[in-house]
Amino acid sequence: MPGTTPAERDALNDLLQRTGARDEKAFASLYKATSARLFGVCMRMVGDRAEADDILQEAFVTVWRRAASFDPALASAFTWLVTVVRNKAIDRLRQRPAAPAADIDWEAIVDTEPGPATRAEAGEAHGRLRACLDELEAQQRRSIREAFFGGATYNELADRAKVPLGTMKSWIRRGLLQLRACLGT
Amino acid sequence: MNTTFENDKDNLRYAEYVLGLLDADARAAVAAEVAAQPEAGAAVARWQAWLAPLAVEVPAVEPPAHAWPAIQQRLGLAGAARPRLWDSLALWRWIGVGASAVAACLVVLTATRPGAPPAPAPAAQAPAVVMVSTLAGDNGQAAWTATMDVQRAELTLVPATPQPLAAGRDTELWLIPQGGAPVAVGVFPSADGKRFSLPRALVDRLGPTAVLAVSVEPAGGSPTGQPTGPVVAKGSIRAA
Repeated sequence: MPGTTPAERDALNDLLQRTGARDEKAFASLYKATSARLFGVCMRMVGDRAEADDILQEAFVTVWRRAASFDPALASAFTWLVTVVRNKAIDRLRQRPAAPAADIDWEAIVDTEPGPATRAEAGEAHGRLRACLDELEAQQRRSIREAFFGGATYNELADRAKVPLGTMKSWIRRGLLQLRACLGT
Repeated sequence: MNTTFENDKDNLRYAEYVLGLLDADARAAVAAEVAAQPEAGAAVARWQAWLAPLAVEVPAVEPPAHAWPAIQQRLGLAGAARPRLWDSLALWRWIGVGASAVAACLVVLTATRPGAPPAPAPAAQAPAVVMVSTLAGDNGQAAWTATMDVQRAELTLVPATPQPLAAGRDTELWLIPQGGAPVAVGVFPSADGKRFSLPRALVDRLGPTAVLAVSVEPAGGSPTGQPTGPVVAKGSIRAA
């Protein structure tokens, strides 16, 4: 996993900063180091290979154009890249009609535990987030994770979980406030 | 947590924005706030830093091989090959599923391709320059679309519906002349498609009496020179 140990994080930050200085070689290395992870995120969010491919391409076009605005004091390169990719994917999802709820098995997909390998390689920031997520009620945790990975709106999530909209909003909002209290300290 | 209710409400909106919960309008409103107000930008950045690490839980997936050259091309970077519309698999994919749409566009592209020699005035009995084939599975669903440029002796195969393929297997394209044995065109990545250069002998056999077919073969292609695995899609060839 790129960007999770301090050394990898520094290397990735360096590549993104050099990309901002129009270093094409650094841009190629950055793509090599992160594209599979980011394409996985695209696939998970839109579920279609051709569309995920489009999003990945658009995202890296944006990365090249905006890399000069990256500031390692404000965010890690990995966070910055994930944000670019997710924003592209979410914008796409908002443009298409809501996914049919029947396609999604809420119980099956939303509370999967990452395997031990993922846990070990995922790094400190992920460890802290996991610990805080683990303190939430199962429904809050599931809803937040599904929102993150599925890019779904409150309405879509309520449909998928087969609960009223107000219930879904309250799960997520209470969960987010608890998360902030846990992560912000 | 000694924040006011208003603060909580704002902060929740930023978190909801980062998660992707907002509809298109509400999303645009927060994006505008982020651009205009440093505090909003900082709050959003904080949520991004907190939540982005979740992305490591998604399995990595190798992107299609053509994605990187396509990015270089879109940005006009030095490593990019000289852009040619004909060469863009992304364009073909975008044009997509309907073979007749592909054909219609192709006629325009072929006629306007920069650097191409001027096309000879079509004689009434001249062979079609462009042919197309929709390769469909038994369920009738288009799996790939093939476009053949006879002058350039090229065949472009584009996936319409990605076909799941067992590990260690490859898809292979065949040309089956009427009453003849299949002739191998080549192995290709099932989900990505491919552009093949065709030997002249093969180009001469393209036509409405021939069929294109895709079979599933051991990795690297059929060991015998003839299809050994199941045929997963086939389609007749027609003039565009």
